[in-house]
Amino acid sequence: MKSRHLVAFSLGIAAFALVPTLATAVEGTTRLFPAISSEAARLSIHGAADLEAMAPLIRDFQEMAPDIAIEYSDYVTNDLHQKASAACEQNTPLGDLWLSSSLDQLVSLANNGCASAYNSSETAQVPKWANWRDEVFGFTFEPAVFVYNMRYVPAGDVPRTRAELADLLRRRLDYYERRVGTYDIRTSGVGYLLAFSDARQATATYGRLLESMSRADVKVSCCTGSILQEIASGRLYLAYNMIGSYSYAAAKANPDLKVVIPRDYTLILSRGVLIPKTSQRPDLARRFLDYLLSKRGQDVARRKAFFFAEKGDIPEGVDGPPTLGELSFVQPIRIGPALLAAQDEAQRRRFIDDWSHSMLSQPASSP
Amino acid sequence: MTLERSLFGRLAVVMSVLLTAGAAVLITASWYSARTAADDAYDRVLVGAALQIADGLAVQEGALIVDLRASAFEMLGLADRDRIFYRIVDPTGKTLTGHRDLETNIDLATVHREPVLSSGLYKGEAVRIAVVGRALSDPAASGWAHVILAQTVEARRGLTHELTLGAAITIVIMCFLALVVMILSIRQALRPVNQLGGALRRRDPQDLTPLSVSVPRELRPFVGSINHFMGRLNERVVLLQRFIADAAHQIRTPLTALTAQLDLLNSGELDETDRQHLSRVQQRADELARLTNQLLSHAMVIHRAESVQLEPVDLNEIARRAFRVAVPITVDPDIVVSFEEADAELTVLGDPVSLREAIVNVIDNALRHGTLSRLEVRVRDAGPFAHVEVEDDGPGIPSEEWPRVTQRFQTSKAGEGSAGLGFAIASEVAAAHGGALQFRAKGADAHGFTVILALPRIHREGK
Repeated sequence: MKSRHLVAFSLGIAAFALVPTLATAVEGTTRLFPAISSEAARLSIHGAADLEAMAPLIRDFQEMAPDIAIEYSDYVTNDLHQKASAACEQNTPLGDLWLSSSLDQLVSLANNGCASAYNSSETAQVPKWANWRDEVFGFTFEPAVFVYNMRYVPAGDVPRTRAELADLLRRRLDYYERRVGTYDIRTSGVGYLLAFSDARQATATYGRLLESMSRADVKVSCCTGSILQEIASGRLYLAYNMIGSYSYAAAKANPDLKVVIPRDYTLILSRGVLIPKTSQRPDLARRFLDYLLSKRGQDVARRKAFFFAEKGDIPEGVDGPPTLGELSFVQPIRIGPALLAAQDEAQRRRFIDDWSHSMLSQPASSP
Repeated sequence: MTLERSLFGRLAVVMSVLLTAGAAVLITASWYSARTAADDAYDRVLVGAALQIADGLAVQEGALIVDLRASAFEMLGLADRDRIFYRIVDPTGKTLTGHRDLETNIDLATVHREPVLSSGLYKGEAVRIAVVGRALSDPAASGWAHVILAQTVEARRGLTHELTLGAAITIVIMCFLALVVMILSIRQALRPVNQLGGALRRRDPQDLTPLSVSVPRELRPFVGSINHFMGRLNERVVLLQRFIADAAHQIRTPLTALTAQLDLLNSGELDETDRQHLSRVQQRADELARLTNQLLSHAMVIHRAESVQLEPVDLNEIARRAFRVAVPITVDPDIVVSFEEADAELTVLGDPVSLREAIVNVIDNALRHGTLSRLEVRVRDAGPFAHVEVEDDGPGIPSEEWPRVTQRFQTSKAGEGSAGLGFAIASEVAAAHGGALQFRAKGADAHGFTVILALPRIHREGK
C-alpha cells in the first residue's frame, strides 16, 4: 500500500514535470493527475478529448475531491471505440468513464449494452437531446466552425456559409489550392460524424462543397490540433468543420487565427460521456459525471476548456451571432438512436468510400 | 342465541368484497388491453422502420448495398429509451450488415411482402422483432433480402404501466364512490327499520292496538306479524280481564254472605282472645271486600275506556258526588273534611262513571293511608287543565315512589298488607281521558301531600 502510494506520487511528479511538453496534446498518452491530499481512490478516464481541454476540469474536480487521483488516457476517437467495444464484448475493464466527441460511437456502445445508467439531480438538468437512456450524456456545446488565418485570407474572402466557401474555392482556386484543411473522416470519428451530419442536413450544399474542396486538393488530417498548427504556421489558410472549442483556444494563443460560425446552419457537437458497465469505480465515475454536469463544472468548461455554451454569449473575437442557444440554424447533433445509422458498418464503409472517392480522387479503401 | 352481525355490516362486507373483486378483474382487463394497445402502437412503428430500411436496399453495380436511413432510427427513437438491433440479410442468407448474432425464430424463407412480428430475446434482453422482405430482381442478386429489426420493450412496458395506472386510478375512485353511495343507500334503506323500532319502543305498554307506522313493502309482513301477535295478545288480555272481573264478581257474593255471618256472631259471648280473632277476621274480610270492589271497579274502568263514548261533563258535579260517596258517614269525627268547588263550571270531555270512580279511589286512598286529621278535596281551574286535588296532612309518598304507586298492587308502604288498586285505577282513567295523575309533595308551608287528577278542559260553545 505504502509503496503504491510512493509510485503514484512519483508518477504524479513526473507527470507534472511533463506538463509543458504535453501542452499540445499528443493523442494516445496516459497522464496522472495525483490527488491533492493523500490518495484514497483513483478514477480512470478513457477519453477522446484533448488533454489541455480536460485538464482544467479535472483539476477543479480535484479541488472538491482532494483525495482522488485521476488517470486520463487520451485516444483518437476511433481507437477509443475499438478498444471500448472489445472491452465491452469481453467484459474486461477499461477505465471507469469514457469520454468522446464521437457521439455515434458512444450511442452504439450504449445500444450494445455497454453502459450503465445513472440518474441524479444533475443528470436531470441535461437537455433531452443530449441524454440517451440516462447512459450517454452530452456535457458540452461545441459548434463546428470555419477557421482561417487572417494574414492569408483577406477580409473580403472570409466565407460565412458553406455556399460561400464552395464559391470561394471555385473563384480563387489557384490561391487556395492545397491551402484548405479538414478532418480525415477515415481516421477521425468526429470528422465522420460531422460529415455524415452535413450530408443529412444539406445534401446538395454538401455535395457542392465536397466537389470544391476536392478540386482545391484539400488537405485532410486526423486531428483538429495538427490542422490548427498548420493554419497557424501558414501552410494552410482555411479549415472546414473544426471543433469550435479547440479552434477558439488556438485563436486565443495566436491572434492571426480567426473563427467563423457558419450562418447557413451550425452543427453543434456535445461531447459525450458514458459510464461503462465494467467500470471498477462507478461511484467515482458518477461523482465526476455529476461534476461535469454541475453548474460549477459547466462554468469551468465554459471559461477554460470548451468556451461555448447553449446559454450565454459566444466568446469574444468569434465571427458569429451573439448567442447560439435559440437560433434556428443551430443544429445540435441529437444523442439518440438516429446515430446508429451513422455507425452501421456497411453504411460507414460506403460513406467513407464515397467521400474518399470524391474528396481525394482515390479508389475506395479505408485504412 | 348467537349474536348476528348487523344487516348493514353484512351488506357492506358483501359489497366491498364484490367491488374489490370487480376492481381487480377490471384492472387486470385494463392491463391486458393496455399491453395490447402499447404493443400494437409500437409494432406499427417497428414495422414502419423496418420497411423504411428495406426501402434503402438496392443493387448497385452488381452488389447489394444498404442506404441505412437515419430517419428510420429516428422513428424508432420515439421510444426514447429503447435499444435497437438489426441485421440485414441478402438473398443468399449472408449477413450484409448489423448485429450478426441477432437471431429470430422466424423462418426467413417464409417472409415475403407481409412483415412478420415476434417476441424474443437478444443478449438476455426482451425484444420485439420485425422481419420484412424485399424482392430484388437484379440478375446479380435476385430473390428476397430481409431486414430483421429488433427493439427492446421498455417503452411498451412503460406505456402499458402508464395506461394501466390511469385506468386503475379511475377504477379505484369509481369503486370508492360506489362504496360511499352504497353505504348511504343502505343507511337510507334501513331507516324504516329503525323508525319501526322507535315506534314500538315509544308505545305505551298498555297499548295493544295495531301499529299504524307507514313502512316499505318489504317490511309489511313483519309489521303484519307484529300486529297479528298484538291482536292475539290483546284478546288474551281482554279474556284475562274478563276472567278477573268474573272472578271478583263471583267472590263478592259469598264474601257478602261471609261478612253478614261474621256480623251475626255475638261478640259478647266470646272471650277476649276469640274477640280479637273475630275482629281480625272482620278486618280481613273488609279488606277482601274492598279489593274485590276495586278489581271490579278496575275492570269496569278499563271496559268503559274502550267502549263508552266520552261526553262533556261538569267536573264540579262529578267531584262533589264522588266526595259524597267516598267519605263515609262513619268517618272519624276528629278528621276535618272539606270540599271546595271551582268558581266557574269546569267542563271536561269524559265518562262520568269512570271519573267518579277515579276520584273516589283517590279520596279513599287518602282516608285510609294518609289523613291524620285533615282532608281537603278541591276542584280547580289550572289553565288548559281542570284539577281535582286531594290533599291530606299525612306523611305523603316519597317522590321516588311516585311512578311505582300508579302500577297495580303497589302501595307506598311495602310492609302493609293492603295492596291497592286505587292509584292504578285513577291513573288509568286519567290516561284514558288524555290527562294524568300527578303528585305534589308536602310543602314547608301549610299545604300537605296532594294527589292531583289533571284533565284537559274543553270550552263549551256559548259559554
